[in-house]
Amino acid sequence: MLRRALQSRKPWFAYVLALGCAVAVSLVYWQVRTDWRAWRQVTEGHVLLAKSTTETLAWKQPVLPAQFSQASCGSCHHDDLAQTPRLNHGRQLMVKYNCTACHQLLDIERPAMLGPDLTNVGTKVSREWIYKWLNEPRTLTDANGNVTVNGVDTESRMPKFDLSDAELRAISAYLSVQRVKAISPSRISLKVVSSHGKDDAAIADGQTRFNQMFCVTCHSIAVDRGGEIKVIGGDIGPELTKVGSKVKPEWLVAWLNDPQGYLQHTKMPRFEWSDKDLYKVSQYILNKLTDPELLKDVPQMGAPTEGEVQLGHKLFVEKGCAECHVIQGVTPRSNFGPDLSAMGIAGGVRVLEARMPREKDFSVHFVRTGVERLDVSEAVVPHSMISYIQSKITNPASVTPAPRMPRFVMSDSDRDDVTMAVLSMTGPAIPNQPQKTVVERRHSNYQPDGAAGEVYQRYRCNTCHNFRGNGGDLAPDLTYEGSRSNREWLVQFLKNPQTIRPSLTVRMPRFEMNEKDANTLADYITTTLLKKEVDPKAVSQSEFTAEMADRGKKLFETKYSCQSCHTIGSSGGYVGPSLNNVADWLTPAWIEAWLHNPQALVPGTIEPRQSMSESEIKDLTAYLLTLKQAPQAETVASAAKGGGQ
Amino acid sequence: MKILLAYLAVLAGTLSLAAVVQKTVLAKTCWCWPPAPHKGGMAKAKFESAEYVASGSFGTEADWNNADHVYALNYSQEQGRRVFSQQCVWCHADTTPAGPSNRSNITPDPGLLNDSAVLSKVNDESLHKIIAGGGSGVGKSAMMPPYGATLSDEEINDVIAYIRVIAAPEVPKPANNAKSAGE
Repeated sequence: MLRRALQSRKPWFAYVLALGCAVAVSLVYWQVRTDWRAWRQVTEGHVLLAKSTTETLAWKQPVLPAQFSQASCGSCHHDDLAQTPRLNHGRQLMVKYNCTACHQLLDIERPAMLGPDLTNVGTKVSREWIYKWLNEPRTLTDANGNVTVNGVDTESRMPKFDLSDAELRAISAYLSVQRVKAISPSRISLKVVSSHGKDDAAIADGQTRFNQMFCVTCHSIAVDRGGEIKVIGGDIGPELTKVGSKVKPEWLVAWLNDPQGYLQHTKMPRFEWSDKDLYKVSQYILNKLTDPELLKDVPQMGAPTEGEVQLGHKLFVEKGCAECHVIQGVTPRSNFGPDLSAMGIAGGVRVLEARMPREKDFSVHFVRTGVERLDVSEAVVPHSMISYIQSKITNPASVTPAPRMPRFVMSDSDRDDVTMAVLSMTGPAIPNQPQKTVVERRHSNYQPDGAAGEVYQRYRCNTCHNFRGNGGDLAPDLTYEGSRSNREWLVQFLKNPQTIRPSLTVRMPRFEMNEKDANTLADYITTTLLKKEVDPKAVSQSEFTAEMADRGKKLFETKYSCQSCHTIGSSGGYVGPSLNNVADWLTPAWIEAWLHNPQALVPGTIEPRQSMSESEIKDLTAYLLTLKQAPQAETVASAAKGGGQ
Repeated sequence: MKILLAYLAVLAGTLSLAAVVQKTVLAKTCWCWPPAPHKGGMAKAKFESAEYVASGSFGTEADWNNADHVYALNYSQEQGRRVFSQQCVWCHADTTPAGPSNRSNITPDPGLLNDSAVLSKVNDESLHKIIAGGGSGVGKSAMMPPYGATLSDEEINDVIAYIRVIAAPEVPKPANNAKSAGE
């Protein structure tokens, strides 16, 4: 037929056929060049394209914009660099928000505290509170709905899931029946705690104890300061302003008594309470740190039904709750979210592609190498990788329909820092390269063992202090504490921490540590936490004379003007620690080594290195060793922590 | 033969059309940050509000004397900001990360670095000298310690670049020049 048509006297037919062939070939060529996008659009559906108009933006930018340039440093430097503070912060946030629970990332650790263990959550809070929390996981906001009040971030780590009323009912039902272990019986009669009614004297005493123990070093609470609500305190533990309306009284008493008995991996230390103190502080928390309005808008739900519990279990698995929370009968999956270890654009070919096949009712993410574009449907954000990551973190629904990822609430600058950390992930290092270019992050899981290890665990020293690369950064690094401090001073300090740094607002809590524990820890510190070059026994007190001390005093006050930063008596600056009791505190060997080169002992310390002669160092040390404080001058009011550097 | 010729002609036409499209449309793709719709080819993006000062810069800093005036920092100034907030802020600013300033504990008063009257009298070289050698190095109060052994020359230069930003003196604007001063 074709031959007959061509042979007939209709020459235009041949031209039409040629044109048709050319169009078909061009079509195929276009589709091959564009990764068969339009073809997939027709056959699979909903693979929408970034509109190819003039306003389309470069998805992959050849060079990162300046404010994200620290990410480029991070592709090789997995360890923290001083020059990249924002990248370091972004990585800290990734640890804090436990991104590794769902995503595969490069060199990002799991946080020590993943999320509360929910094995026994039914004994801790009511079903109504769970409903409220899942609906809006924050308790404190200012008038504008911001979670940062006066610069203090009170945001919980829990992200926001968009749950319907039925889903909230089901999950709260499921969680409220989680009671594997009964609350351990307390020495305080619970009947007394609950039936005593309001005991104003106990509440007032409890508040004093709460303040004296420096609970606010880790927990923040909102306080009324002259009509202005301010949030004070740290963010290691949860914010406590309304905790009295959250937890059950019997749980609170058991928790304060032995936190590690309820939650093994908690960061909270175990305090040595007397029964009286425990009673008073729990009275204060249950009566003062409350909000009667807290559960106002929660429907009354009654006892959970079997169907609700079943549905709750299903949702718990589907939403990926088990990735952060431990619960009986659900195992976490490490590949719940997409692999982000090669998300960084600077690294080259690996780019994420999100696709939405028509048949499935949830979005499928996967990483494919060699794909150059991301296909986003109905995106309201600019079509570029950086905006995509930014929007995905704080509002996943804006870039992916029906996302499994929850919404993380954080400030814009925090969001940008996390984006920076994601951009720094450029895949595994190239194997067999002649030069090693990647600087690995140092991981340390150092823990003391034996008797000291038990005490160390009980007081959770590494929540705030760092020991040989393992621990928090709130308080001084204690890796070389044995070379720094005298043993007698350590014992006294552990029993009753005094302020060393007048300017600090966070202080070491008072554990009411007994003599035996303090001695165990002091022994451990003075025998183990030593710097080889600084031997406390190498320099003896007897080699310093009064004459040297006189010369040292002059050097201190005039030539080096140390009082601009250090306090002696009641005058001087407070940038450095107070030196009032330095003779009891520091070892002579440490003082000498410190005056030689502070940065060699504590990297990054801000005391500038001076070029002192050997004899000047001896004279200054002699002077400092005369500075002792009479013990009776210490008052409870100034009792506080500090830490010495 | 005719068919082949026609086919080749159409193919050549299509490819040249594609080339033209690539030259004209794709060349207008925006490669800058933050992405902003561009009119007229590679026109420079217009930044109207202070928050856009951040775009394309390593960081931002509000003028200490005039919070509405936000400056974009270059790499050196951004590093200077880091060093300043670690080492200098305690005595040379009115508020510090710890709260109150250590200034009041020191006599003579350390210069406030947002005081352009103080800074405009010293050139970069003298600043470098006093930071590296301390107050005693230039015959002034030893309350200012030397940082020559703690900070590298580059870091000291970064700090100087930064403090020149936070205290940028108001430049009187020429009558018919509406562009922002102090950049």
